[in-house]
Amino acid sequence: MNLLRIELKKIVPYYTFWIILAVYAALLILVMMAASNISINGGQLGTQIYQFPKLWQLLTYIASFFNLLLGILIIVLVTDGYSYRTLRQQVIDGMSRTELVLAKFYVILGIGAAATIFLLLVGLYFGFRHSTDTSMNAILGQIDHLSYFFVQAVGYMTLAMLFGFLVKRSGMAIIIFILYAQVLEPILQFWLNDAIDQYLPIKAFKSLTPMPGQELLDQMTTPTGLLQPAWATLPALCYIGLFLLLAYYSLKLRDL
Amino acid sequence: MAVILETNSLSKKYGSIQALKQLSVQVEQGSIYGLLGPNGSGKTTTLGMALDVIKPTSGSFNWFGQPVSRSTKRRIGALLETPNFYPYLTAQRNLEVAAEIKGAPAGQIARVLQLVGLEQRKNSGFKGFSLGMKQRLALASAMLNDPEVLVLDEPTNGLDPEGIAEVREIILRIAAEGKTIILASHLLDEVEKVCTHVAVLQRGVLKAEGPVGAILSAKDSIVISAADQQKASLVLAQLPFVASYQSEKENMVLTLQDGYTSADVNQAMFAAGVVLTQLVVRRKSLEAQFLEIIKKPS
Repeated sequence: MNLLRIELKKIVPYYTFWIILAVYAALLILVMMAASNISINGGQLGTQIYQFPKLWQLLTYIASFFNLLLGILIIVLVTDGYSYRTLRQQVIDGMSRTELVLAKFYVILGIGAAATIFLLLVGLYFGFRHSTDTSMNAILGQIDHLSYFFVQAVGYMTLAMLFGFLVKRSGMAIIIFILYAQVLEPILQFWLNDAIDQYLPIKAFKSLTPMPGQELLDQMTTPTGLLQPAWATLPALCYIGLFLLLAYYSLKLRDL
Repeated sequence: MAVILETNSLSKKYGSIQALKQLSVQVEQGSIYGLLGPNGSGKTTTLGMALDVIKPTSGSFNWFGQPVSRSTKRRIGALLETPNFYPYLTAQRNLEVAAEIKGAPAGQIARVLQLVGLEQRKNSGFKGFSLGMKQRLALASAMLNDPEVLVLDEPTNGLDPEGIAEVREIILRIAAEGKTIILASHLLDEVEKVCTHVAVLQRGVLKAEGPVGAILSAKDSIVISAADQQKASLVLAQLPFVASYQSEKENMVLTLQDGYTSADVNQAMFAAGVVLTQLVVRRKSLEAQFLEIIKKPS
């Protein structure tokens, strides 16, 4: 049985899915356009910031704020399975609990890939409009930021999936997901030593798309203790694995 | 006969509530096995455990002599509690998802839709279906992989009389193909009409089990009336083959020991000089039998 094909059959006709994705795309483009049109000293900000290759870091940094929306989408998809009792029916019909988790993870990988390709297109569009240097070297120079973004989006969505499986109800799961990402972990980061808190999940995910100019800030003030993107990939991947495992056990140990 | 489903001391606790206690039953091939009991007696819990969605607290079960696995699941078609489908998908799409999971060929979809009479509505969204149509779609989905066993939990629950008749007719048609059916129901009448075997559950405890004829055919009662009631009851008290009797308005209702009939009562009364004005054999109502079974201390 082809897990991704089964998921696609369920998702493609689902309006809610497309609406959330459309909102995601529209918000991202809107923010990019708004930023490019700000004028400073008579010059458009767009021409300053949308320069290849620095553009990729800025783009993934902006996009990182919208990962919560992708997480909400995953929570809706997972908790639908509880409210319609289709998770239960799928196990009755022959799916294993491992496959239930894997099927959703494939959807996450798919959405992550789609979001990354979308960012690539958005980046190319704004880059070609504003960048003075459009040589191949400049365009591809820092394009590896997109791969970090992919890991980050998958990380957020896997965490959201875990909350969906644990909490079972969409409203509650969404609140807990946002509360953890925006409130609980920041408080935790505040209390913990930088050496430790840089390995907390949200912080590790955030280090994948650092704010442009962070290095400059770090030189002027005390460093924030963020991992380098390449280094942050390792804890991020570990967390993704851990969340998958926890989601599996939450299914295995409880009644459906 | 091959054993299709066997449970061994299957138990389930929800917190401090014992939903099912030490259930050991066997369902044989070709039987229509009824799980009968009032709401909350553990029927759905039992089926949920057998279908791998509820974790047993203790005990075990086997399908076709094996532990539950994908290959055993593919030989079973089941609907548990409610028809479980995506409301925003059409009947056809919902069945496509189910067929993919069950590994059933897509060609089966048209066949099962026809079987339950939904082929005209296959492109309608599930959320617009009436309860009866939802229930029929669930039956269609259960039939997708042409299973050897059908597990149906309250298949007529919430349906109007017409819907009940339709669903029952479908079940009997499926049973006529020689499939084993396990049916949970709180409707005595349904179990008596449809099933060959029955297990009676109450508060998670098995109260009786066996062929429907043996379990649900308690002794008939006899209603008599006589011109002289008092004398008649004096005579009754002395008849050794009268198991019990009680007054009911101007009648007397009695049950007899095994092997005696209304003729013996009539003869004994006449011999004692009491002439009966009425002598009627009354089949005991199913409900009365059922209450008797579940009131029996276990």
